[in-house]
Parts: sequence; structure tokens; C-alpha cells
Amino acid sequence: MPDFAAPSIEGSSNRRARIRDRMLARLHSRQETMAKCRKLIGYGYLCCLLAFIYVPILIMIAMGFNESSDYELPFRFSLIWYQQLAGNEVLWRAGRNSVILAVASTIVATIVGTMAALAMSRYRVRGHAILQILLLPPMAVPWLILATSMLIFFYHSGIGRGLHAMLLAHVALSLPYVIVVVGARFQSFAADLEEASATLGANPWQTFVRVTLPMIAPGVAAAALFAFAISFDQFVTSYFLAPPGVTTLPVEIYASIRKGFTPEINAISTIIMVVSMLLLGFVSRFYRFGGSK
Amino acid sequence: MSTVDIQQVTKTYGEVYALDQVSLTFADREFFGLLGPSGSGKTTLLRSIAGFVTPTMGQILVDGADVSRIPTYKRDVGMVFQNYALFPHMTVFENIAYPLSVRKTKSAEIKSRVERILDLVQLGGYGSRRPRELSGGQQQRVALARALVSRPRVLLLDEPLGALDRNLRQHMQIELRQIQREVGITTILVTHDQEEALTLSDRIAIFRQGKVVQVGRPDDVYENPRDAFSAEFFGSTNFLKGVSLGVQGGIGAVELPDGTRIFTNRALPHSGSSVTLTVRPEKVLIHREQQPAGTSGSQWNILPANVIQPVYMGASVTYQVSTPPSTFSVFQQNRETRRFEAGEAVKISWLPQHTVVLDD
Amino acid sequence: MKVSRTWIGYGLTAPAFVWLGITVFLPLAVMFYFSFMSRMPMGTAEVTFSLEQYASFFQRDFYRFLTWRSIMLGAQVTFFCVLIGYPAALVLARTVKGRWREAILLLVILPFWSNALIRIFAWTMVLRTDGVIDQVLHLLIPGAPSIGVLYSYPAVVIGLVHSFVPYMILTCYISLQAIDDSLIEAGQSLGGSNLTVFRRIILPLSLPGLLVGVVLIFIPVVGSFMEPRILGGRDGIMLGTVIEDQFTEVFNWPLGAALSFTLLGIVAIILALAYPFLKNRVKVA
Repeated sequence: MPDFAAPSIEGSSNRRARIRDRMLARLHSRQETMAKCRKLIGYGYLCCLLAFIYVPILIMIAMGFNESSDYELPFRFSLIWYQQLAGNEVLWRAGRNSVILAVASTIVATIVGTMAALAMSRYRVRGHAILQILLLPPMAVPWLILATSMLIFFYHSGIGRGLHAMLLAHVALSLPYVIVVVGARFQSFAADLEEASATLGANPWQTFVRVTLPMIAPGVAAAALFAFAISFDQFVTSYFLAPPGVTTLPVEIYASIRKGFTPEINAISTIIMVVSMLLLGFVSRFYRFGGSK
Repeated sequence: MSTVDIQQVTKTYGEVYALDQVSLTFADREFFGLLGPSGSGKTTLLRSIAGFVTPTMGQILVDGADVSRIPTYKRDVGMVFQNYALFPHMTVFENIAYPLSVRKTKSAEIKSRVERILDLVQLGGYGSRRPRELSGGQQQRVALARALVSRPRVLLLDEPLGALDRNLRQHMQIELRQIQREVGITTILVTHDQEEALTLSDRIAIFRQGKVVQVGRPDDVYENPRDAFSAEFFGSTNFLKGVSLGVQGGIGAVELPDGTRIFTNRALPHSGSSVTLTVRPEKVLIHREQQPAGTSGSQWNILPANVIQPVYMGASVTYQVSTPPSTFSVFQQNRETRRFEAGEAVKISWLPQHTVVLDD
Repeated sequence: MKVSRTWIGYGLTAPAFVWLGITVFLPLAVMFYFSFMSRMPMGTAEVTFSLEQYASFFQRDFYRFLTWRSIMLGAQVTFFCVLIGYPAALVLARTVKGRWREAILLLVILPFWSNALIRIFAWTMVLRTDGVIDQVLHLLIPGAPSIGVLYSYPAVVIGLVHSFVPYMILTCYISLQAIDDSLIEAGQSLGGSNLTVFRRIILPLSLPGLLVGVVLIFIPVVGSFMEPRILGGRDGIMLGTVIEDQFTEVFNWPLGAALSFTLLGIVAIILALAYPFLKNRVKVA
């Protein structure tokens, strides 16, 4: 194109381009505003949701530090309910039971569950289909039904009620979760690592200790924490399987709530809440919820 | 060092024969390629030598002793897996030291042996890396070093180069062959890549449906395929079907359905029986003249043909030509001054010694 | 060697088998047996086997009414959980990015593993007459009437939605974040409006997650008893609370067993309906 002819043509096309650019920019900025708007609404909504989830819990926690025994406002800070809690023998005993149960249940469920997960992903046999089915009820049937059926069975079979019965129940409820979490970990690496180990001269035990265990360790740790949380927070089965005089914290709290409210319940609830949340914080370090892209 | 003897090994999964009475002998220091399509049994054989698969029948002898009921970890085999199976929670050094440390070797010796083998695979100084920090080729070398460091009796390679890109794969083939010679270990390679098997192997076996179809040196199998399957699996080829007219004066003749006679200097079944012939595309010449240039044309098989499609590939051109009732593919080095166009009438010709007679 | 591998396979699962047999299979079987008894097998009184317990269930309007109430409760709670949870999951999966997403997700799930009882208890603080809502209201508007909703049906629904909405958010989020961005871009490039893209692409692809959430919420809610008991008072009588009473107050275990089995029947029907969608997700190994 000759130079001298350029200006006029370029001028008009320039103007047109400018107009087009401006329109595009406006459209773009409108889209951007819309996206921003949507983002704002989205975040606002999530904030409301989090408020809905957390405000009652925070109020419950706050009321444990309020002096009034009838939860009356205005708020006056006091540790009186925690002091009373310190002297509450019944709750202490229930708390000790809860911890013992949770620890025992965690150990048993983790070992038994990891063994099953190992078998189901590395030593497939036909019977495993039945186990798969047996794993469903603890996750899919209301715990009320499981608890009452265990009560009937344990009572009439001589197993009876008590901490041992609760242990049976807690482990049963934890097992499916342990197997799923550890099993997922097994799926994450191929069996050829173990085969490689065998070709390199490691016997099955060496292979398990030096290859399999390190590979599944994060899953096992997460599963153990899950199992602990399930047992420590377990109310339904403990409630039906607790004989008079032997209780766990949740059972004791339920009894107290039904008797009438006292801020002492808030205090102990707060402690349990904090313990559980710390545990879950731990779990989330080992186990990614919901996955990520 | 070691020979491996496969005797009548059969492996069934329900009704399916993964291996059907396979017998093979792998000689000492030999590089042996097992070739075949997927599901042909080659991997099953490799895995039964490793000990992951227990044969339903038959024996696997290493240096004359039956190992087929011995667990893997007592077999003293080294294996390189398709995706290397390096332990992600160990460093390169720990990976390679693993076979030594499970055998309770002294740490000073472990150190010197691992370092020596790292040098052998040209990874000196990489010991403290994690496998995921290495490239595919480096991982492959670590896997090889790990398989070799304990000086096993047999090295098993399960498509070891399958995960690498083409250039790297060719480079690694040469390197692998060098290391294998240097170490002098009986090596069994499973691959579905014919080129890889050709480059690496002293001998190959072609598998089909759990059976060994043909065993031999790669060039021998290529030049003299026993049946249509090995001919087609190992390189591309052309087929002709006809009726034997018997052999006269060392030259056999086969009549095609349209009356054309094809000559061969190979053994033919008796006159009147139907036979399948095969000719490799690179043995066939394509030309416009009546005879191939510079020859009298006697002794040659010459067929009239029409070019369907020239496929230009840079260094070479492959022509699809029709010579009713069959189509031929003809391979031509890109050296000729002129190429042929689609639709052009041409002649194709080849020597009788290149007409291979197949078993049916 | 093959034989021993099989035995390892059985040996490693044996403890889990035995454990679940004792705690799940046998108890459910015994409870089924129990539900046909005419009375508690105690003392010397004769126990006969009949459909009496089930008959009383079907003859007495009270139990039918209760079952209906429990199912309605399950439906309403599930509905609200979808209403609240699905949009939240959508925002989390499609608008929020990076570290915020992880943090909010964790915040949503955090209470999910903490004690359900305590969360329900927390609502009593908020909802009761003279509770926090009430007192704040009175501080703002002196002389306003009390608005305690504790011990009412809505209180039960609020408490249960609070307990179970994280399930819905989580299951929907998992299937929503699995949708490839390019699918949505493809939908938009083919001229779909945002609404169309949502209706034709996002919703169908996230439906499995939504259904899993529905099942995971509906089943425990139908069988809930602690929540209605604490938050519902007299208005909180449900199938679950009546079953609880049979075992803890009235000691009519056969009736409790029959009611439990009725509940189990409802659960089984729901699971059977949802099975085609759940099949691929509940697979363990």
C-alpha cells in the first residue's frame, strides 16, 4: 500500500476500530462486573452458611464462660462452670471411659481394617464380596437400628452390656471407614511396587515393612484419626449398650440435657468440641477431602 | 552364568490357555525377545519366570533346577517393570541399595556397589535424588541398576522402554544392549515393538494365543517367516494365494487363480495343494519397463499393476498397487529420479528366492 | 503358592468378618426373630411367635402416623439441605478458587465430625424461650413477645438441617468439581446461556453427587431420635423416639424390634431405589 494513501483510510478504519474496541471493552467490563457480582453474592452466601453452621456452636461455647446459670445476658465472663466441672466425679469417670474406649477402638479398628483393606486390594478372594456387603450396614443403616439390635443380641447371647460391648460396636462402626480410607491408599499405588520388591529379593515381611507400610502410612494415620473421632463422639450405640453406672461423655451429656440445662454441659461440650476439631485438623493434613483438581 | 529352560509350561485361567505347552531355552548371556500381540502369553511367561504366576503344568529350570514352585524373592531374578516401579519413598541410592540391604549386605559394600552401578548407568552423583525428580530415561536407568546390582542370574524386562518417547527409546536401546553385554547376564525381554526386538535380541520367539509360533534369530524370522501370523506380525508383507504346481529343477511354481505363475526356489507342498505365499514390500521393484532395469527379466516374477496410492515418507515411498485379485505394497528407497503417480500402469517384480512359502 | 495366597486373603479378612458378624449380621438376624415374639422372653411367661407386633403396627393409626411423620421429616430436612447445600457446593466448586476453597471446605466439614449431640445442644441455647435469639430481640425491642421455637417441629428441622447440610455440600462439591471446565466452556461456546449450561450440563453431571447426598441425609434423619427428643419436646415424637422408648423406658423389646424392622424396611427401599446411582461410589476396593 502506498504511503500517501494511507492516512485517510487508516483514519476511518482507526476510528471504527476504536469504537469497536470501546464497545468490546464495555462488554468486557460488563462481563467482569457481572462476574464480580456473582463472586460477591457467592462469597456472601458462603459467609451466611458458615454463620448458620458456627453461630450456634459459638454461642454454646460462650455460654460456658457466662456466669449466669440460666444463660442470661448480658454476658459476664467467668470460669466457674469449668471449676465445677473439675469437681464433677461422674463426668470425669465418663470422660475416662470415653478416652479408653476411643483409644482401644482406634487400635483395633485400624489393625483389623488395614488387614482387610490389604487383603481386599492385594489378595482378592471370592469371599470378599460378602465382606463388602457386610461393610454397608454400619454406613447405610441408621445407628439406632444397629444399636437396638446389638442390645438385643448382646443381652441374650451373654455378651451383655458394658465397655466391652461398646468397644464391639465402636469398632464395627469405624471399620468401614478405615477400610475405605486405607483401601483408597492401596489403590493409589500399583501392586508392582510390591512385585518389584519381591524380585529384588525381599521376603513378604520385608516387603510389607519396607514398601507397603510406608506407602499406606498416611492413609492408616488418617483412618486411625477417623476411628478415634467416631468412637469418641459415639452416642447412639453407647447409649443403648451402657449399663447403669458405666457411661461415656456423650451418654452423660444426653442424660444431663434431659434432666435440665446447666452451663457445665456447655463447658464439657466445649472441651469435646475442641478435641474433635483438633483431631479433624490433623486428619485433613493426611487426607484430602473432596480431592482437588 | 545361567540358562533358563522352559519345559512344557501351561497356564490356564478357567477355560483360557494363557500359555499352552510352551517350551523354550534361553542360553547363557543371551538377549532373548518375546514378541507377540497383547494377550498372546508373552507377559504371562515372563511373570511365571519371575514367580508371580504359577504354571498349571510344566517346569521352569534355572541352571537345571526347577524354580516353578519357589517364591519370587528366592529366585534371584532381576526385573525392570513397564513403569519402572521405583519406590517413591526412597532416594535413588536407597532404591538401588534395596536388593542388597534386604540380603543383609554390609553397608560399606552396599555403598561401593551402588556407586559402581550408578556409574555403569551413567547416573553418578544422582544418588540422593528422589525418583520423581528424574526424567523418564533416568528413571529407566535407575530401575535397570536396581535390577542388576545384586547380580541376579536372569534379567527380566517387561516392555522397559514403552514409556519413553521415540528418540530416547532408540538411545536407550543401544545403551541397554551395551550394559547387558558388559554385565553378561541372560536377559529376557517382553515387547510388542518389533523394531525393539530386532535391535536388541540375539534370538526372538513369536507368541500367539499362548503358543510359540516361531523361534530364531531376528533376521532369520524376518526373512523366513513360518506362517502368515509371524510374517505379518514381524514387519509388513504381501500375501498371494494359489495352487502348487510342484518343483522342477530347483524352481517351484504356484499358479494364482487368474493363471499367473509365481516362481519360488523354496520347498513347495506337492502339486495340486493350495499354498500361501508372501513377499516383503522392500523386495519388490516397481518400474514402467517390461523388465527390471539392468536385468534380462528371466527368473523374475513380473506382474502388471496399477498404482493406487503413493505414500511419501521422506526417505522412502510406499506404493499401494493393485494387481488383481490382490493389492500389493511396494517399498522404494527415495533414490529414483522419478516417482509414480496414482493411476499409472506399472510392473512389479521380485526374485524367486524372495517368494516365501508359508505353512497354512 | 496359589493356595497360600488364597489363605492369606481369607486370613487377613477373617477378623473383620467375625467382628461384623457379631455386631451387624447376628444382631440384625436376632432382632428379626425377636420382632415376631409376643412379649419379652423373661421370667416364666410363655412366649409365642406371631405377627402380632407387625399387626399392631398396621392396625394402630398411631404407628402409621408416626412412620409418615418420620418420612416427612426426612423429606423436609433433605429438601432444605439440597436447597442450602447445593448452591453452596456450586459456589465452592465454580467461583471460589485455590486456598480459600480448601479453607472454606474444611470449615464446612469441621463440625461434621464433631459430636452431633453437642451441636443439637447448641441449638437449645439459641432457640429456647429466653434463649439467645429471644434475649437479643428483647435487648433491641424491649417488650417484644417471646419467640422461643424450642420444643416444636421447626426446631427439629432446623437442628437436623444444621447437622446434615455438610454431607450435601461435600457430596455435591465432589461431583461438581469433577466436571471439566472445558465441558462448560464448550456449552457456552455452543451458544448456551448460563442457565442453559447449568440445566443441561452442570446439573445432570452433578446429579449423582446430589443423589448420594440425599440418601446419606434421608436415611439417618428417618432414624433419628436424639434430635427430635432434645429439640422437639412433645412435638418431637417420631418413629425413632418411640423405638428408643421401647428399649429404655417401656421395655417392650419385641415391639421395638418390629418398629426397628419397619424402619429398616423403609431404609432398604430407599437404598434399593438409589442403588443404581450409589453402586459406583460405595465400592470399597
